[in-house]
Amino acid sequence: MSKTPVRVGLIVPSSNVTVETEMPRILARAPGTEFTFHSSRMRMKAVSPEQIRAMNAQRERCVMELGDAGVDVMLYACLVAIMSTGLGAHRDAEMGVAEQLSLGGSEAKVLSSAGALISGLQALGARRIALVTPYMRPLAQQVVDYIEAEGFEVADWRALEVADNAEVGRIPGERVMAAARSLDLAGVDVLVISACVQMPSLDLVQTAEDEFGIPVISAATAGAYSILRTIGASVDIPGAGSLLLADASVVAS
Amino acid sequence: MTDELEIVPKADHRVMGVDHAAFPTFDPAGTVRFYRDVLRFPVVHSICAAGWGPDKHPDFIHFFFDIGNDDRIAFFYYFGLKPYGDQTAPGDSWARLDHDTPQFFTNSRHLAIHVVDEEDLLEYRKRLDDSEWPVEMQVMHETIESIYTHDPNGYMIEITRALRPVTPQEDLDAAITIDALIDIAEGEDPSMDKLLERKAQLIVERAEAWERAQQHELAPEPVLVP
Amino acid sequence: MTRLYVLEVPENEGFVEVAAADPVITVDKVGPYFRLSADDDIVIDRRATGARHAVWYSAVAGLENSVITQQDKNALRVQRR
Ligand SMILES: [Fe+2]
Repeated sequence: MSKTPVRVGLIVPSSNVTVETEMPRILARAPGTEFTFHSSRMRMKAVSPEQIRAMNAQRERCVMELGDAGVDVMLYACLVAIMSTGLGAHRDAEMGVAEQLSLGGSEAKVLSSAGALISGLQALGARRIALVTPYMRPLAQQVVDYIEAEGFEVADWRALEVADNAEVGRIPGERVMAAARSLDLAGVDVLVISACVQMPSLDLVQTAEDEFGIPVISAATAGAYSILRTIGASVDIPGAGSLLLADASVVAS
Repeated sequence: MTDELEIVPKADHRVMGVDHAAFPTFDPAGTVRFYRDVLRFPVVHSICAAGWGPDKHPDFIHFFFDIGNDDRIAFFYYFGLKPYGDQTAPGDSWARLDHDTPQFFTNSRHLAIHVVDEEDLLEYRKRLDDSEWPVEMQVMHETIESIYTHDPNGYMIEITRALRPVTPQEDLDAAITIDALIDIAEGEDPSMDKLLERKAQLIVERAEAWERAQQHELAPEPVLVP
Repeated sequence: MTRLYVLEVPENEGFVEVAAADPVITVDKVGPYFRLSADDDIVIDRRATGARHAVWYSAVAGLENSVITQQDKNALRVQRR
């Protein structure tokens, strides 16, 4: 623990409170590495196409601010902002941020929660998935299409249809679990309990995995997984779903 | 239907032209007027960044104009940075040369942008002539016609069209010229005279292979390899 | 023997025609080049060729035991070395 901490930059919608709560909680449990968290906010209150466009226009400023802080890894933590702008958009977004950073001589690694969710599903070898989103149906449909375009079959999904982003941050876990229970999980490899970094779900991941008997991930656990992989740390965090136990050497009996 | 099992090897020469050529500017407004408003090259990309590495350069904007064919010319504008060198000397925003540098040398480094025909060349001539940066020179070379001007940063820009396609014998001649050049360039006192003498030897050496290739209607490519 | 080579391209046609019309110059082909040979000096009048500036100054592709002693807006003169 004597090493210099890994500085994690979070680019978050201004109304988001969950990323800055869940990400430190998860990564504090990562053995052998200390993390510090630094965020920059893009103004966004309602999850609508107009506000998402306006928010994406603020990305460069956020990258500049976090670049100044000399972070080691940067997570663009708004999944729907990327997934609603076009299929495969996380690659362009990550590339754009990386270009901006590398031009200025920063060696910070770049991740997005959209890309991290895809990487998490790939790491679990998922083919058929189910998911719960807080979004309005049209946006949720875009997220489903996006994930399917990345090569996964979305067998079933629920949209909780909460437009106000602050309210998304207050969705009770019981409502998320109820939505998950209503899914048809037959033949599903992986359940995405929350395809949104604002919908609180960290405490639900392990519970859901135990209840449904299949790997469960959230945008947050997938983000944590990608951060650990990117900095070359081992992925061994118990109690947050099997994705975060990827490098666990011995499974406790 | 093609045989799907046939593996077509990738070509040896795989690059696809200019991604972007980048230059510094101290006059972003003039640069945008010249490229976007006068030449009407669309702005296609921009990046706002700072100097985070050991270089610690100032905050800067990197912006791009489409020069056709998905190729781009790009500029860096650094906030608060002052031009380097003696601004009354020949040169451009990237560098100033000695006062006695002849113009041919100053202009030797330039960017030439391709157009397909005379109509298009004249269209760009008109756009420039109606602006603060009129065409300085219109030249008919052997096989190309070009117009030239300098952008607000002092960079020479050429717009050029081919008068006819390049022939296989010109490719052969170019290959012979370059082989002759490298033969004499590392020797004593390279000169045009020595080059033409060496070229005559190579012309005779390679004539037979060329004629054989022509008879077999083969591409002249094997002839080009010494 | 004075000898020079000229690449066969449309721009050089005038040059080669003038040479071929000169009884002291023998013109034959070597690969894609015209070979101009003469026992004495080879002199080509620029105006007769109709060659423009850039074409005129890049017409000669090779010199065999020969040397250019004049190349200006009036004429090209090639002599035995
Ligand atoms: Fe040129």
